[in-house]
Amino acid sequence: MLNNFLDQFATLTVGGLSLGFIYVLIALGYTMVYGVLRMINFANSEVFMYGTFATIIVIRDLFGFTQQSEPATGFRLFYILFLCLVASMLMSGILSILLELVAYRRLRNRGSNKLAPLISAIGMSIVLAEFMRILTDSRYVGSPRVMEKKSLGTFFGAELRLDNTIIIVAGLLLFISLSQFVQRTRLGKAIRAVSMNEDAAKLMGVNLNFVVSGTFLVGGLMTGAAGFFYVLKYENTSFNIGFELGIAAFTAAILGGIGNIKGAFYGGIVLGLLETYASFFLGTQWKAVTVFIVLVVVLYFRPNGVFGEAITQTRA
Amino acid sequence: MSETILKLQNVTMKFGGVVALNDVSFEIKKQEILGLIGPNGAGKTTVFNVITGVYQVTEGDITFEGKSVKGKKRYKITRGGIARTFQNIRLWGDMTALENVITATDTHKKSGLLSGLFGMPVSRREERRDKARAQELLDFIGIGEYADRLAKNLPYGVQRRLEIARALGTEPKLLLLDEPAAGFNPAEKVELAQTIRKIRDAGYTVLLIEHDMSLVMGVSDRVVVVDFGQKIADDLPTKVQNDKRVIEAYLGVPEDAS
Amino acid sequence: MFNLRDWGAGIWERSGRPVRVLIALGAIAIAASLPLLGGTFLKTPIADYGSVLVFPVAIFVIMALGLNIVIGKSGLLDLGYVAFFAIGAYTMGILGTKTGLNSWEILPIGIAMAMFAGLILGVPALRLRGDYLAIITLGFGEIVRITALNLNSIGGANGIVGIPTPPTIFGLEYTFDNHRLYFWTFLIIILLTIWMIRRLSVRRAGRAWESIRQDEDAAELMGVPTFKYKIWAFVLGASVGGAAGVLYASKTLFISPDNFTLQVSILILACVVFGGMGNIWGVILGAVILGYLPDRIRFISDARLLVFGAVLVLMMNLRPDGLLPRKKREKALPEKGQS
Ligand SMILES: Nc1ncnc2c1ncn2[C@@H]1O[C@H](COP(=O)(O)OP(=O)(O)O)[C@@H](O)[C@H]1O
Ligand SMILES: [Mg+2]
Repeated sequence: MLNNFLDQFATLTVGGLSLGFIYVLIALGYTMVYGVLRMINFANSEVFMYGTFATIIVIRDLFGFTQQSEPATGFRLFYILFLCLVASMLMSGILSILLELVAYRRLRNRGSNKLAPLISAIGMSIVLAEFMRILTDSRYVGSPRVMEKKSLGTFFGAELRLDNTIIIVAGLLLFISLSQFVQRTRLGKAIRAVSMNEDAAKLMGVNLNFVVSGTFLVGGLMTGAAGFFYVLKYENTSFNIGFELGIAAFTAAILGGIGNIKGAFYGGIVLGLLETYASFFLGTQWKAVTVFIVLVVVLYFRPNGVFGEAITQTRA
Repeated sequence: MSETILKLQNVTMKFGGVVALNDVSFEIKKQEILGLIGPNGAGKTTVFNVITGVYQVTEGDITFEGKSVKGKKRYKITRGGIARTFQNIRLWGDMTALENVITATDTHKKSGLLSGLFGMPVSRREERRDKARAQELLDFIGIGEYADRLAKNLPYGVQRRLEIARALGTEPKLLLLDEPAAGFNPAEKVELAQTIRKIRDAGYTVLLIEHDMSLVMGVSDRVVVVDFGQKIADDLPTKVQNDKRVIEAYLGVPEDAS
Repeated sequence: MFNLRDWGAGIWERSGRPVRVLIALGAIAIAASLPLLGGTFLKTPIADYGSVLVFPVAIFVIMALGLNIVIGKSGLLDLGYVAFFAIGAYTMGILGTKTGLNSWEILPIGIAMAMFAGLILGVPALRLRGDYLAIITLGFGEIVRITALNLNSIGGANGIVGIPTPPTIFGLEYTFDNHRLYFWTFLIIILLTIWMIRRLSVRRAGRAWESIRQDEDAAELMGVPTFKYKIWAFVLGASVGGAAGVLYASKTLFISPDNFTLQVSILILACVVFGGMGNIWGVILGAVILGYLPDRIRFISDARLLVFGAVLVLMMNLRPDGLLPRKKREKALPEKGQS
């Protein structure tokens, strides 16, 4: 077993990294909203799930791929994948904004008790998942193959499969763009200001509703990109994948220190690798349990995350 | 004056880069009313927070009746005899005034959850006793007639006083009042000063944070002044009023009404 | 605005002891006669009326009462409540099929197992902030289900079949389709639970939970051992969930991991939220309505979870206190002097 593991270590690592980037992008959805509102956006898992469907719709209905179709190649492939990515990002971004408007805004502006937005979020998550379940008749939805998953060669013994490579490269680019966005743009700076101190930001004339919508949009865009990557890698989706991926990505966010963008990056990568290695030994049925145990251990011993800076103590 | 009840020794409290308290030492004697003043952001509330265990001091030590409070759980510090009020009122809004105080008196109950469940006589006796005690405290503070009103519906001034009654419900030896007169009109302030003296005469020791100079100077036996986290004076009210550093500290920052 | 809860509480408070006893007996009599009303408009077209009353209605009521201790009384959001239900049910399933113990002997064991699980989960989880607790409990519920699914020694995905019915008492025989007898038995458990919660609510524990729910930091600083009381709330809630699990397994006689999904936790949460967090009468009403409607109205039956999710969102946004809100009323001010 161990020898086997060592043989496959490099290849497993590549797979783990690509899973890790999917987590990173979903975790960004959780972390950004948390930073601004100090609230767990439970329904982000469903935002992700709708993103996966957007990619399948583009492949299947826009380009008419079926299970029998020849995979695309060259520029046409690039073009299709790019459209899929954009579609997934838009679907999730818009859904995310709507979600905030419908489920949270009223509660936030009324300053209700702490449980209310959480429960509203859970309700929203159920509504979205159930709606999709009814639409898809509770079935898994496979994606026709648009791309031959050929190997691009090996790298230090790791087999570089095309899908994994795309995910890692594109994921890294998206993460860098997001960091730049948060550092450089006005909206990004406003988001950071609100994350650090809501009252002070308000005093400085930041329009809170605008910043919140912007945060949900950006978080949703990233989460949607993860949806595209997921379909690229696993070639199917269903109404209930949000739950498992959502918990894992949330764990990643916690692992890195929630509210902290870099933390989502480290947390996602570490969890992706950890989960891939653990599944190799334990089998995939215990995957969710592994993730959960990581979550409990981290929350218990390092509630501010393993990589995160300490969040200041609560005031009395 | 008699023996020391609370002692801060070289207390430093840092939040990341912010030094909220810098090497602060002072003590309070039994049955004393000690005023704690200083401009906004000077670190007064932080003093309360380190005494009551909300924050752990970065350096130094705090002893209450000779025993360090370091590392003690917050509710145990309270049970040990230190109670406080909050600058920004933190009552339990959906409970009545009386229930707010009874909840604090529960601190001293022997009967727990199970004896309550089975309606044991101890539990019933204690219920009756504490209800009477809570009403007594409300009357003592002068808000007895509001006993059955929900805390959140009470007028502002009554809420402030209810905070004091609730703190007294824990039967403290030392009472910490954080700006109890904030938002009061002059008549209410006079009344509050009388209440504070009454509290002391009933055997409690009081540490009072207050912005209103005439109130603090009038009621305190001694005054400690902090500025930028440092103690700059510790003396009789009359002396402090004429202290050069104190005057400077207050001239630098215009007095805040809130 | 008319407030049903205050109206009811008003009548109750104005009445003397004999009237109160009469009201209580009347309410119990009405509840006990429910199984006899199958021929009326209450008839359920989807599943048999008698069995609907036992499950989901009575079981939902028990679980909602239990979850209400955790979420309604102390403000702790537990999204894995189904775990305790599952533990109770599996205790019944395993001991019922592998030992000679009967349902009544297993009931306390199932309750104890659930309480123990509550303690194990509560000690690490209750140190954390509220929204983390929600996630941890959510994960815990799934872990219990996944474990049951993957442990072949307790039936794996096939679950446990052939669970025995409770033994005959007073010549009353618990046959599979004797729904009335089951219902009346469950009604007794419901009454016991109500008694327990009411007893606790008016005393010290009730106040401690209430103060924790409203402002935990203030509670701790006023000398309330908040951690201890949160654990108690969690463990008591778990005990009720465990009891519901034992009873459920004694009724369906067959359990499998599919009966214990996250959806159950959500359904029960919806019952509590819909009826009115923190108020037992509201919670009961919520559980009765949400347990019964899906079997009465076909549309709701098909889109059960969708409707329940929407209930959560709508209630939180429009009527966060539920149908019957918790106590808000206060006694009138005395006539005399007021400042
Ligand atoms: N939890 C905290 N985190 C960071 N800084 C804090 C915290 N609590 C207090 N401070 C800082 O400590 C200083 C003193 O605050 P405080 O004790 O509230 O002043 P005041 O004298 O007005 O009561 C302020 O600069 C405040 O910003
Ligand atoms: Mg202050």
